[in-house]
Amino acid sequence: MTFLLQTALLARRRILETLRQPIWVFMGLSVPLMYLALFAPLLKPLAGGPGFPGGSVLDVFVPGILALMAFGSGMGAGWIVIGELESGVIERLRVTPASRLALVLGTVLRDVLMFVVPAALVLVVATPFGFDPHWAGLAILLGLLALLTAACSAGSAALGITLKQIGSLAAVVTGLQLPLTLLAGVLLPLSLGPGWLQGLAHANPMYYAVEAARALASGTLASATVAEGFGVTGAAALLAIWWGTRAYRRAMA
Amino acid sequence: MIAGGAAAAVPGSPPPPATRLSGTDGAVRVTGLRKAFPSKRGRVEALRGVDLSVAAGQIYGFLGPNGAGKTTALRILTTLLRADAGEVVVAGLDVGAHPAAVRRRIGYVGQRGGADIEATGRENLVLQGRLYGMGRHETERRADELIELLDLASFCRRIARSYSGGQRRRLEVALGIVHRPDVLFLDEPTLGLDPQNRANLWDQLRRLRDTGTTVLLTTHYLDEADQLSDRVAIIDNGLVVAEGTPEELRGRYPVGVTISPRPGFADLAAVATELGREPLVREARIEGETIRVEIDSATTGMAAIFDLLRARGVEVLGVSLREPSLDDVFLHETGRSLRDAGDPVSMEAIAS
Repeated sequence: MTFLLQTALLARRRILETLRQPIWVFMGLSVPLMYLALFAPLLKPLAGGPGFPGGSVLDVFVPGILALMAFGSGMGAGWIVIGELESGVIERLRVTPASRLALVLGTVLRDVLMFVVPAALVLVVATPFGFDPHWAGLAILLGLLALLTAACSAGSAALGITLKQIGSLAAVVTGLQLPLTLLAGVLLPLSLGPGWLQGLAHANPMYYAVEAARALASGTLASATVAEGFGVTGAAALLAIWWGTRAYRRAMA
Repeated sequence: MIAGGAAAAVPGSPPPPATRLSGTDGAVRVTGLRKAFPSKRGRVEALRGVDLSVAAGQIYGFLGPNGAGKTTALRILTTLLRADAGEVVVAGLDVGAHPAAVRRRIGYVGQRGGADIEATGRENLVLQGRLYGMGRHETERRADELIELLDLASFCRRIARSYSGGQRRRLEVALGIVHRPDVLFLDEPTLGLDPQNRANLWDQLRRLRDTGTTVLLTTHYLDEADQLSDRVAIIDNGLVVAEGTPEELRGRYPVGVTISPRPGFADLAAVATELGREPLVREARIEGETIRVEIDSATTGMAAIFDLLRARGVEVLGVSLREPSLDDVFLHETGRSLRDAGDPVSMEAIAS
């Protein structure tokens, strides 16, 4: 009870913080919309070809963009955490009896919200352009990708507390970003690629989330792909939250 | 001592009843405290066996140069760091065994402050209170009380990012006492404050002490230790080198009197010798054109000096008096002056 209350209070603080900086809300929205407006048209000629079975190319492309959004929404957490290490906020909170798990989850919940709301908007915008998903699948898809955001958010916060410096964090996150997203096939399905690339992708936890997301958008709800997606992403989220909590418990700044 | 310490350590259990430590209880008791940090030059011992006892209801100062180990000690007392060895009891509870219960009884204002600059001062206070398990209405009332007490009313509804240094510091002190802690810890609380804000903060800390809160602060300012603290522990190189009230500590060292007679006064040496024989004078010697005399106390010693000078017909142009300061204590105990004792590789830097 205390724990839930603390989590809610800390999430509320984060959400207020975000709402006071509307520029970030705006930027968060503009990136996926630019992908839809400026990149998706390039895919048009591929409709019906390999990797794009039937329907609109958007049915394949939008789940990938959503996964990219989920990743991006979570990865910012580390920057905020380092700012709070420097201003002493984390130290102050660590001297209160607040649950360390609640400290992690407060940020995670805000980041999940900051993924789900723009994601819903992207879906609304994409629909008139021929995006024709399976709506029940889509709801489950948002749940799956929310787990991906949670994993990224808690992982980024843990990295931030561990590295303590913006420069190091930026190097690690940008270093991870390209291999993680490209090898997940966020822009084009990896089934288009050669065998070695597909093999490599299987070592990337995010790959399973994106594959499952595409399956869910197309209405294939009960499949091994979806189960794998939830299994891998859920495990990654749990691991990251555990790591984040441990980092808060030990933080020295 | 407070009962129920072990029960209070159970996660999720209700906060212990609000008890005030009375003067006979120790607010802080530290025995044989040791802490070392790994560094590039091997292990650095930040604390090398610190013993301390802080009675409840006083302002207690840790005085020492940067790198002395003050901050490390404070971080262990406030559950932020674990000790390598030694016993640390705060507000009647063992910090290592019951960190969660200790957290409910202490407040902490870190060197970096810790106000959330993206929120308003009032939001900061309310969140802090609620994290300590206070109810919504209780927290609101307490926030209003603190806004009044620390004079935050004119800015507490603005985002803290816009606050001046003094305003932010006041908010941070308020954050430290939202839950009415038994012991309030402050790490270099007046660092970077202008004299006006510094004086105000001193007054506020004295008022807190007068309402029964034990205040423990670190400082590297001599006057802060001397004038604000009821007792002082002088810390250097991971050890307590002297402890007592500022008066006691200063009283161990003589008052220096420098007498400048009219130039050309013939028998300077004879007068100095005679001064040296006075019972209240510790030592008298000639330094250039002046006589330098050390006495135990200015109140009794000065009269004796003047009587003798008048009797010998010495015409005095000027007298300067130098009272001992805590820096003399530090100098005597460590061989260095506190003013230039800073270690380039500070323990605080290693700890962070």
